[in-house]
Amino acid sequence: MLISLKDVVKIYAPAKEQPVRAINGLSLEVPRGDFVAILGRSGAGKTTLLNLMAGLTRPTSGEVLVESANLWSLGDREQSRLRNRKIGFVFQFPSLLPSLTALENVALPNTFGKRLAGDEARVRAGQLLEMVGLTDKRNAFPRHLSAGQQQRVVVARALMNQPDILLADEATSNLDEQTEQEIMTLFQQIHAETGVTIVMVVHSSYLVRYATRSIQMANGKILSGD
Amino acid sequence: MNLFQLALRNISRNAFRSWTIFLCAFYISGFALAMMLIVHGAEQSLDLANQRLGADILVVPNGSEQKVETSLLMGNPTNVWMPREVVEKIARLPEVESISPQLYLATLTNAACCSVSNMFVIAFDPQTDFTITPWLEQRLGRALNPGEAIGGMYVFTPPGEEGIKIYGTFVRLMGNLEPTGTGLDRALFISFDTAYDIARNSRTRAVEPLQIPDNSISAALIRVRRGNAAQIVSMKIEQQIPEVTAIDSPELFLSYRNQINGLAEIVWMVLAIALVLSIAIVDLIFTMAVNARRREIAVLRALGSTRRSIFFSLLAEANLLAFGGGMAGLALSALAVYLFRNLLVSSLQMPFLLPSLPELVFVLAIGILVVLAAVSISVLPPALAASRREPALAMRE
Repeated sequence: MLISLKDVVKIYAPAKEQPVRAINGLSLEVPRGDFVAILGRSGAGKTTLLNLMAGLTRPTSGEVLVESANLWSLGDREQSRLRNRKIGFVFQFPSLLPSLTALENVALPNTFGKRLAGDEARVRAGQLLEMVGLTDKRNAFPRHLSAGQQQRVVVARALMNQPDILLADEATSNLDEQTEQEIMTLFQQIHAETGVTIVMVVHSSYLVRYATRSIQMANGKILSGD
Repeated sequence: MNLFQLALRNISRNAFRSWTIFLCAFYISGFALAMMLIVHGAEQSLDLANQRLGADILVVPNGSEQKVETSLLMGNPTNVWMPREVVEKIARLPEVESISPQLYLATLTNAACCSVSNMFVIAFDPQTDFTITPWLEQRLGRALNPGEAIGGMYVFTPPGEEGIKIYGTFVRLMGNLEPTGTGLDRALFISFDTAYDIARNSRTRAVEPLQIPDNSISAALIRVRRGNAAQIVSMKIEQQIPEVTAIDSPELFLSYRNQINGLAEIVWMVLAIALVLSIAIVDLIFTMAVNARRREIAVLRALGSTRRSIFFSLLAEANLLAFGGGMAGLALSALAVYLFRNLLVSSLQMPFLLPSLPELVFVLAIGILVVLAAVSISVLPPALAASRREPALAMRE
């Protein structure tokens, strides 16, 4: 199993506020090659689930395993390396570094992993930009790209280190319908061509059709899943 | 793209944050260096002047101590006299090893008979002198002949002239003493015989004759025998010869030392306050900048950056700015002190000597280390907090 969550609970306890139980005893297994769409209302725990899978937040209890390795038994260095090499992330919010060009943003994960030499990394980043249809924008800064183009660059960046897992958090929620369709088709194409495992939080049920499997969440639990 | 380049890009992106840190480092380092150079230069100058005199005690006519000290330090000529018999009286004291009289003279102002206006001329007795004579023996290999002189660092023979004209008599400049940063650098040293020759010749060659009162001297330099305290010998001299003031070496230039110490205290206090304020400002600015970038930092963590590299890249950003600002401040400050050193001396009425190159490099290195340490202290809390913040929480905030 590529990703396993075992009886995971996540409680957020901000100072001077009531604790919030975002994930409530959730167990889930994602086999290699799956394209999972996660649906649910706002506050259902979808983003927290994705963050748990990426090791971006520590579970209050339970275990998160990636390729059988318990994420929270690893030190920061090992956990960061695993994130860098095995997981690609597409965020809901604009996440490109404004001081870097599109090409530099795509190549950024290589800065931390150093899998490729400088020139090789640039070639790979260029190929990925070509794949998402932005060859002519390689030297453009994020402020000169549309929201849809920025999200394509983010997708390219997520694939830079050839990850096993692609986690996408409402990657199309800020886009118009046509751009949303283009991005979703891009995910489908990437899944088909690379076989990467995709776990994607979606905001509308009609987007489920792009995935091979869907999960419905509510109150930090899985309500249903095919 | 590496982490260093990433830090540079972030610096260029956030102009307000970058300029604030740069300017804080610039002002603190520049101000600290300028003040350090001035205070240290003045202290060093006083020490060298003391060494140049080479005496344990300086005896001057009563009430003229301030005038003499000012002359020696600032190079303004003075005209003070006391009976020559003072020398014999002091020499009889068993605690006194040697005593040497001096005459303090001045050239005329804007007179054709003098090459340099209002120049401080010190005449010494080659028979008893223990301050200039050792230098002459070492450098010249002999004593000065009549009509010869040596000068302070900045004394020179006017171009095309055979010597320096004093009251119509030319004296040949035989060499220059090392700089002290005091008035002694602009003073001319001649023997008693030369001084009396000039005075005799001046009656016919100068617009105004050089007056040296008969059997009079301006000051006497004393060395005490080993085992005797200069302070006690000074008191004994003043008791036995009431018309003179004896200033022992540590007390010499005391008013200037007090002035410098007072200035140093104020400078250090202002500097400490400025440093604390700068640390607070940089901390505040950096905290704001890091908060504004919390999502970006979370993204970097999601892409595989470790806590350690986040911490060090933030520290590197701040230290790059501090290094740039600090170096600019230090360089500009050193240049300003060098260019305006004469203005400093005249406006502060203090002696001043530029440090040697190794001393300057040492001070610059200390200065830049202090700036880097201060900025590191400032950014430590926000950098630590940013690197430790859970990425998911940072994205939610």
